[in-house]
Amino acid sequence: MFSPFDIPSGAFTLITDELSAPADFLLHGAVNACIKEHATKARVPGLRAKSESGAGPTVLVLSSSVDLARWKAISSKQNVNLAQHLTNGTVKFVDVACEEGGEMSLSSVFNSISATVGSSSDVLSERLVILDDVSTLEWIGFSPLDIMRFVRALRISCHKANWTFIVRYHVVTPNEVDEQLQQLLGICTYHLDVRPLYSGRSGAVSGEIALHRGAAARQDEVKLIKRSGSLQYRLLDTGPVYFQKGTSEGVL
Amino acid sequence: MSSFKRKDPSKQSNLKSYEGTRVSPASSSTINTSTGISSLDDILGGGLPLSCSLVIAAPDLHSSYGELVQKYWVAEGLACGHRVCVIDDYAEDFLRDLMWYPKSTLSVASEATSGGIKEKEGPLGSTFEDEEDEPTPTDRKVKIAWRYEQMKPFQTTVSTPSLTSENYCHVFDLTSRVPTPVVNEKLVSGKLSLLAPGNPNRTGGATMSALRQVEQVLQEQSTVPIRICIPSLGSPATWGDITPSNALQFLHSLRGLLRKYPHGCASITLAPHLSSDNWSGSGWLQKVGWVTDASLTLAAFSADPALSATFPSHHGIVHITALPSPSTLVAPSDRFSTLRGLASSASGFGGSGENNLAFKCTRKRLIFETLHLDLDGGVSERRTSAPSSTAVELTTATGTSISASAAAKSHDHSQGTCNDHVSSGGPRIDIEFEGPAVPEEKKAVVAGELIAPSPQPETRPKKPKKKVAFFSDRPDVYDF
Repeated sequence: MFSPFDIPSGAFTLITDELSAPADFLLHGAVNACIKEHATKARVPGLRAKSESGAGPTVLVLSSSVDLARWKAISSKQNVNLAQHLTNGTVKFVDVACEEGGEMSLSSVFNSISATVGSSSDVLSERLVILDDVSTLEWIGFSPLDIMRFVRALRISCHKANWTFIVRYHVVTPNEVDEQLQQLLGICTYHLDVRPLYSGRSGAVSGEIALHRGAAARQDEVKLIKRSGSLQYRLLDTGPVYFQKGTSEGVL
Repeated sequence: MSSFKRKDPSKQSNLKSYEGTRVSPASSSTINTSTGISSLDDILGGGLPLSCSLVIAAPDLHSSYGELVQKYWVAEGLACGHRVCVIDDYAEDFLRDLMWYPKSTLSVASEATSGGIKEKEGPLGSTFEDEEDEPTPTDRKVKIAWRYEQMKPFQTTVSTPSLTSENYCHVFDLTSRVPTPVVNEKLVSGKLSLLAPGNPNRTGGATMSALRQVEQVLQEQSTVPIRICIPSLGSPATWGDITPSNALQFLHSLRGLLRKYPHGCASITLAPHLSSDNWSGSGWLQKVGWVTDASLTLAAFSADPALSATFPSHHGIVHITALPSPSTLVAPSDRFSTLRGLASSASGFGGSGENNLAFKCTRKRLIFETLHLDLDGGVSERRTSAPSSTAVELTTATGTSISASAAAKSHDHSQGTCNDHVSSGGPRIDIEFEGPAVPEEKKAVVAGELIAPSPQPETRPKKPKKKVAFFSDRPDVYDF
């Protein structure tokens, strides 16, 4: 799912990014890959029956600010008709920050989606939950404790049902690790760290990515990418083009 | 027969076409509105897209460039025929100072109504620079090497649109004020609304009240674009004591409203105390950038005389925090902005970064342009001949001159004087003493280090100060 990274399905991946190098492309890539895999398996007659047996959504996006127009526009550039999948229920978006009865509550959001996540069925395609993003929830007034409880509860539900769980976190102070990030790093399986270039914006290189092992990862399961040898990427409208740091293969 | 059906470009976009807007070059599903400043439109990638919000941070307490940008925003909205809402308790005062078309345009317009007339360029129709600022040389024919003859003059900003071009990015003159009848007519017709945020004494009350009013305005009609303007978010008089959480929640909710009603867009300037990156802990402006679509900081030089002296032709630096990309992964500004220069660097050698940007406010307009450093040492202090040695002359606070050397291998300590000359090709140490003789231990010179000058009995003839490239008569910023 996370090409070119070998992150296995069912893992809890924390994605951190900065404003100069946002990680939207990773989330869009994960959703579109999941949709394409689901569509491919649905075409196989034997598998189609299994996958359609009331399985619920394949992709669940919990967002602090749902922008469907943007998701649809970007997916269409990657040859995915998101509108169709929204209609047939393959993809579901939930606005986590919407107010119910004048108060924002994460527990009510969890209650409404726990049934969806907990319903494990015999589907063969990978299932995905994305929480985008944790830091904005704290900035707009949610209690950090409530947020961490929500994340932990979701993580446990996804782990039981073998759903892949992705959480995005915005880093605003690059050289500091705040308490919330520390807690997230302590429970994640893998950590994808997207950063801008130290020298500032460039026309040819949009940023670089490192892959670190989290506390829950098994040894030697996935090939890690250190910060010193991070994978650089150039962002195009159709998606990222990756290349090794210091090389320009396929870019220049 | 082939089942292939050619896509009809006219049916591609389901968006309405609004007066005074342009389709974004990056995506046919994005519609841009002009901020009223052509160079700012260029930085944003063609303009501020509908359904997006722009936040301007202006941390300088002694200037009001942020508010000036908002005045351009409102003036452009009035000129395009858009619906404009200004949210501020002192909106009438704000509107009174609104800029308007140059007086020459108004006289051309009045002549045009009486009969056909060719388009006439006013003083702002020139490209690149403001003619009032730089005297036009009488003789433009400069003798120049042949290979450079065909090159265009060095550009630091984008050209101003001509006065009679399409209904987008009108040319305004800061010396001209919007006529009161125009404002009254817009108020009466409902094209201009002045909203007060509400009770600032309740914590969070002003922001929630403002959001409700904005939603009401956005729900009313969708035939013309709606421009929301907040000249000073967080100013105590209007908004009360606003907390960081209130401000971020307001901006986040405003963006949500604009997404829900995509015919609207908003431009907000933060109050000076909210424009500092350290407000509410570090990373404040980054947080603002995440909850809005576009975010810029106009850091004026007013409080820093050193920067004013270094860049005398500009009034402040522009820092870009976030840029709008409502329907693409890559912000259109990265591909289409001339001022930022990323597009040209990507296609060429592929390695250079973006240009530094600054702004200046002339008598007639506000301009954003690229910022370039002078030659090292400044043009007036350029070295014309190679120095005889590599000696560098420094002056201490006491006025005694010391010539410093990088390395001195051996020192001869002679009584009463201490003149060490290093015969090697490197720079030399000359220490001059004035006054009574001092003990020898005080005269010891360690290689590569300086000691405080000691008084010496003999008076030496003062050597003339050697001017080197980076020597400046003006106090250096690092002189303590």
